[in-house]
Amino acid sequence: MLMISPRMASGTQEKQYNPSLLNFFIYNPKFGPREGEEEKKILFYHPSEVEKNEKIRNVGLCEAIVQFTRTFCPTKPAKSLHTQKNRQFFHEPEENFWMVMVVRNPMIEKPNKDGKPPTVEYQEEEILDSVYGAVLQQCYSMYKLFNGTFNRAMEAGGVELLTQKLEKFFYRYLQTLHLQTCDLLDVFGGISFFPLDKMTYLKIQSFVNRVEESLSLVKYTAFLYNDQLIWSGLEQEDMRILYKYLTTSLFPRHSEPELAGRDSPLRPEVTGNLLHYGRFLTGPTNLKDPDAKFRFPRIFVNTEDSYEELHLIVYKAMSAAVCFMISASVELGREFCEQLDGLVGPQLTLLASDICEQYNINRRLSGPEKEPQFKFIYFNHMNLAEKSTIHMRKTVSVSLTSVHPDLMKILGDINCDFARVDEDEEIIVKAMTDYWVVGKKSDQRELYVILNQKNANLIEVNEEVKRLCATQFNNIFFLD
Amino acid sequence: MAADVHNKSAPWEVQNGSLVPVERLRFDRSDSPTPGLVEGTEPGAGQERAMFVHAQSFEDLTAESEAQAEEKSEKDLVLEEPREEAKEDEGEEGRDEDAVKEEEESQRGVRAKEEDITSEAWRDHRKHVFVLSEAGKPIYSRYGTEEALSSTMGVMMALVSFVEAERNIIRSIHADGYRVVFLHKSPLVLVGVSKTAQSDRELTRELQYVYYQIVSLLTLTQLNHVFQHKQNYDLRRLLAGSEHLTDNLLRLLDRDPGLLLSAVMCLPLSSSARDVVSSSLQAAKAKSLVFSILIAGNRLVTLVRKKDQFLHHMDLHLLFNLVNSSSSFREGEGWTPVCLPKFNTAGFFHAHISYVEPASDLCLILVSTDREDFFNLSDCKRRFLERLRKRSAYQVLQEALRAPTYSVSQVGIPELRHFVYKSKSSGLYTSPELPVPYQSVEEQERLMGLYQSLHSCLHHPTRPLRSIYRCGEMENLFAWVTSGFELYLCFSPLGTKALAVSAVNKLLKWIRKEEDRLFILNPQTY
Repeated sequence: MLMISPRMASGTQEKQYNPSLLNFFIYNPKFGPREGEEEKKILFYHPSEVEKNEKIRNVGLCEAIVQFTRTFCPTKPAKSLHTQKNRQFFHEPEENFWMVMVVRNPMIEKPNKDGKPPTVEYQEEEILDSVYGAVLQQCYSMYKLFNGTFNRAMEAGGVELLTQKLEKFFYRYLQTLHLQTCDLLDVFGGISFFPLDKMTYLKIQSFVNRVEESLSLVKYTAFLYNDQLIWSGLEQEDMRILYKYLTTSLFPRHSEPELAGRDSPLRPEVTGNLLHYGRFLTGPTNLKDPDAKFRFPRIFVNTEDSYEELHLIVYKAMSAAVCFMISASVELGREFCEQLDGLVGPQLTLLASDICEQYNINRRLSGPEKEPQFKFIYFNHMNLAEKSTIHMRKTVSVSLTSVHPDLMKILGDINCDFARVDEDEEIIVKAMTDYWVVGKKSDQRELYVILNQKNANLIEVNEEVKRLCATQFNNIFFLD
Repeated sequence: MAADVHNKSAPWEVQNGSLVPVERLRFDRSDSPTPGLVEGTEPGAGQERAMFVHAQSFEDLTAESEAQAEEKSEKDLVLEEPREEAKEDEGEEGRDEDAVKEEEESQRGVRAKEEDITSEAWRDHRKHVFVLSEAGKPIYSRYGTEEALSSTMGVMMALVSFVEAERNIIRSIHADGYRVVFLHKSPLVLVGVSKTAQSDRELTRELQYVYYQIVSLLTLTQLNHVFQHKQNYDLRRLLAGSEHLTDNLLRLLDRDPGLLLSAVMCLPLSSSARDVVSSSLQAAKAKSLVFSILIAGNRLVTLVRKKDQFLHHMDLHLLFNLVNSSSSFREGEGWTPVCLPKFNTAGFFHAHISYVEPASDLCLILVSTDREDFFNLSDCKRRFLERLRKRSAYQVLQEALRAPTYSVSQVGIPELRHFVYKSKSSGLYTSPELPVPYQSVEEQERLMGLYQSLHSCLHHPTRPLRSIYRCGEMENLFAWVTSGFELYLCFSPLGTKALAVSAVNKLLKWIRKEEDRLFILNPQTY
């Protein structure tokens, strides 16, 4: 898939190509140790039409690179390979199972006169390792969420089952990777929390408790409003990837028709009930439909210890969404769904409008929104809380940022700097465009601010950021 | 939040619509701190023409300009072509000085080479450097013997050629805590393995230095010739005894800001005394003489050049390295062929190298095009010394040698620990001696590492910066680039941003006041 944005330069047409996925493969070097059996190592290869010998060659290079780096550090093998044309990222999520993602560098194609082939210029400094390394790890986490570990599949059905599962999952998943819009938020993989007053928060908690009591099958619950998390009973790591799935895949799939004015939840043939706005986002689309299917997606959590397989029920009323997770060993049918719909639907509808009201009051109290002179990203490593005023909306296909991509990359550079040393740091840079970028790291928290005050000096920028910290993060200490 | 997003006039909107950065901005550095200060008038800028090849920045170090340079210089100067028998001349018998060889032998003995390459200690080295031929034969390794590493180097070559077979170029491998950088400069392959925070570009630049170090001993012509003749030639035969030059160069790269900044530091000396030294050197000329260089340790006292011939700072650093890596030049007059690769990779100059006095740090390098000119140049040196002694400048020079550095406290800025200032138009820089917390080798290299990472961010090829302020637990740093200068400051962690801003102004004023002493303002030609 090529995104092409032509740009005019001195009368000749230049073509700019964004980074794109060249190859994605998974192999296990133990599966074909003998010569002539190399193909057996390959468990998945995208694109599948690549010729067999080329697949073997590319896997061979990865093996050689990993082996070579063990000379210098046996425990920390290669994570990426930079070449003129592309970058390869290596990830070993389970012992001997290697995932490799090859991303082509962005490039500019300059046409030549006299019918000569165009000159291609690769932009080798544009891809950030931290961002795409995180994207690759996310690929595994997402696979594991819906399929469990590679080793479990091997135990259950050998290489055959594993390759089937990989093929089924990645064939579709890779199409949803939008490499040109990946940025710092992928590195954090954080969760956006919905800001709420104590009263409303308690209401939500008591709602969750009541439902879990009435529906004793429910093992875990997660509550979201406006695509932001309010409450979760899952482990942090599991919630992190589930949140990613909900906000970038499931919710956008269901909210876009709403925005377009079709399938309004008010229409009875969709909800089947006029007393509330509740509906299933997974499972049956219409409870009244006699042919309704009661199949829910299965997810795998706590794979490190108890290894639980669960049904994922996502139920939504207006902007409030609740995930109910029930052990996969239980058979779920019409009766259960009707019970859940009857119990949760009215309560959730009420709760959603309460939250909405409360949220509007709070907004009014905080005064009219002024045009801010800054944009920021905040991330807390301890609770994965993330907040960005740079990103407008992240959907399946686009992540819109309101700043120049180069500034986003400077944020990425600063983040890499922070990741290198484990101490508190602050970095203030002035870009060539005269934008100021400030990065602060303090005790597991990171804050990045972009200021558009071209004539400000270092001292004024510092004051501005201090003010921001005082209003937005008044209880967090940042190194001065 | 959404409101400002849709506001068309929001200054946050991407201005040019496409994802391409605005080309113009990359080179459009901010103006100087004081109004009216433009490039060429910053503190330390030479008043006449620059004495170096005009090196704006380190970027042109990496530019592939050799071909042009060769053409240009060959028109003006006839350098000695390395002849067929140059091999014996150079390698087997080495320099004309036996002493050089002896010295090198003894140096070689102390190299901690016999390391077990599977040991933890070997892996723990901060930076490894390997040089190999395109046949995968080992040529140099910083740590561990080449023999022990021959299979590792074989793998390196295999990786390079495997990627090249796909019409691609291998650049680097990244892992947690270290990276491996590859540079293929035919007929050599150079590989660096580094645990430092340096960027790929910085490491590649260092490998280029090593490459040019080898070229400076052999010329590229001879290097190519050797491998065309015999692909799996063992180049160590030709380079025997020169490993310590590369060892020393690598140490300099870790510690000397001059190599990072593509600039040279001067010995502080009053401008009147320096002018006398320069004019004495200028008067002691000979027909074959191209450059006369007077150095004190790793500081430049003065440089006189033939009109229209420029010395590249990289070549000068290689000369510094040659002189400072062996003490044999102290024992008499040295006469050695040397290739200045940034000037011309194809031919040899002949350098007359001698200390002014055996116990002195002053060393005179006379670079000539004529290999038979030893006695002529020896006479130049005698004439130069005579002139110098006749005038009082010699005394002043001796004084200056006793204080080759200055303390940062002279600047009078509290919390300022250290700084590096480079005048871009002259290619010269100044920096005070390292203060107490940075005097150990580890700390010195750590500070250099910090400067290196600031330098790397400022000069990023696609998203360069105007300035960086970095506040850490050990120190606060500030770096700033303008069209005229580059400045790096290191403050104690107690330093504030307000202090940093006022310190820059105060420091620039101080450098302006001291520029007569710290820089060469009147470079001379013959």
